[in-house]
This record gives sequence, structure tokens and C-alpha cells, in this order.
Amino acid sequence: MKILIADDSRVMRQIVTRTLRQAGFGGHDLVEAADGRQAFDKVVEERPDLVLSDWNMPEMTGIEALRALRAGGHDVPFGFVTSEGTDEMRQMAESAGALFLITKPFTADTFSDVLGPMLG
Amino acid sequence: MIAPTVDDLQAITEQVWLSYLDPEGTDPLLPLPVEAPAAGVAASVSVTGAWDGHVVFTCSREASLRAASALLGVPADEVTADDVADAVGELVNVIGGNVKSLLPDGCLLSLPHVVTGEAAASGRWPAAVEVCRLQGVWGAEPVAVGVWASKTTET
Repeated sequence: MKILIADDSRVMRQIVTRTLRQAGFGGHDLVEAADGRQAFDKVVEERPDLVLSDWNMPEMTGIEALRALRAGGHDVPFGFVTSEGTDEMRQMAESAGALFLITKPFTADTFSDVLGPMLG
Repeated sequence: MIAPTVDDLQAITEQVWLSYLDPEGTDPLLPLPVEAPAAGVAASVSVTGAWDGHVVFTCSREASLRAASALLGVPADEVTADDVADAVGELVNVIGGNVKSLLPDGCLLSLPHVVTGEAAASGRWPAAVEVCRLQGVWGAEPVAVGVWASKTTET
């Protein structure tokens, strides 16, 4: 599978990559985006099978990118990996079409529990 | 008005350390009531909306290099200034996001702002007051997290 990791922090993209490996999902193709706009463009260009996106990013936030994707007819499975996990944001994410919201800080066990059903 | 406490900051930073900086649990951030020396790096995020204020992370230059090294998985002598800004900015983003989850709905979190060098010790928030502060050492290096509430929010 191809996984798009969208986060404006290179450090966090690296942590997500490392955590995927630690959770046993190291064999997948990874693509990166440094903001929400890039995430939108990369979904169109690269056709990933899953998007793991930060929420708070420059240019376009994660939720704006998700809404733009759904409005454009792109139904790629999309989940948030964000430091903000309030009920309010979870409801916004769900109503925009997100499958899950993982809060930072996360562990490999969290990735395993949430992503296991999708990534095997 | 609900305000985060030092116990909240301790619980949040413990999770951050265990997840990213000290996964083995052998090198935690130890809370100590020490007077913080001049900061080498200061990173902050602002919260606006139903609650207004700032979450500020400060540490020594050495602690910031260790953090960037641990987060990126590279030796400390290979860490660049951009790596430090990214790493410390992400730390305050994660801490700030978790602080925000303790606040009323309807708040927005800003992107992080990072200052290094002499300017890091001179940050001021004249329209805000510090409502809690966690201070400690990581190894021998000073680290602190403070939450500042706007005077309008406070009243």
C-alpha cells in the first residue's frame, strides 16, 4: 500500500515513519507532504491508499484538505495524527469523512490498534 | 475560568517524554523547583477563542540538541539549527495541543514560534499572567513549560 504522511514538521513526519515501522507496518510505500495544500496535490498525483495527516498546518489545514478532497470526489481513506484531540475536533473530523483521529503523543501500540485493521 | 495546573503539565510532559524522548523510561524529565537559568531556546504556541493565552516551552541549547537528536534519530553533532527549531516547535505543539484539550471548546491553536540564542531569554507577554509552570531537569539540563493566560481571560 501507499501511505501519504502530511505534517509541516519534518521531525514529526520522521516520527510517524518510525512508528509505522515499530508497529509492524514498515513494508509500505511512503509519500510525504509538508502542508495541507501539498497533501491535496499528492493525493491527486500519487493516489495513495491511506492518508495520515496533521490538523494544524500552513497553507491549508488538514481538515480543509480533507473537505477539498471529498468535494473533489476523492474518497481516499483519511485519518488525523494531531496534538489536538478534543471531542469537538473528533466530531468535525468524523463529519468531514475522517476514519480516525490519533492524538500526539502516540506510541507504536496506538498505531497498531488503529491502523491494524486497514494495513493488516 | 478553568485553567491548567502544574499536575496537568506534569502528566502531559511525562507522556511526551515516554513517547518520544525517553521511550525506555530511564531518562525522564525530573520536576525540580530550581530557578531556571537563561533559556537557550524558547518555543511557544498561542491559544485563542474561548480561552486566550500561550504555552511556552524553554530549555537550554544542550537540551534542545538532545531533543532534536532523539526525535530525528541522528547523533547530536549532526543536528542543524533548522532541526532544533522543528523539534522544539513540535514539542510545544504537542504539549500545547494537550493543554488545549483541557480548555473550553471553541479554542484555536496557533502554529509554533521558536526563538533561539540570547533573544530566547527575553520573551515577554505583557497582556498575560503565568498560571502554572513546570520546571525541571532532563539529564543535567534545565527544561520548563509555562502556561500564560491573557488578563482578559483571567478576569
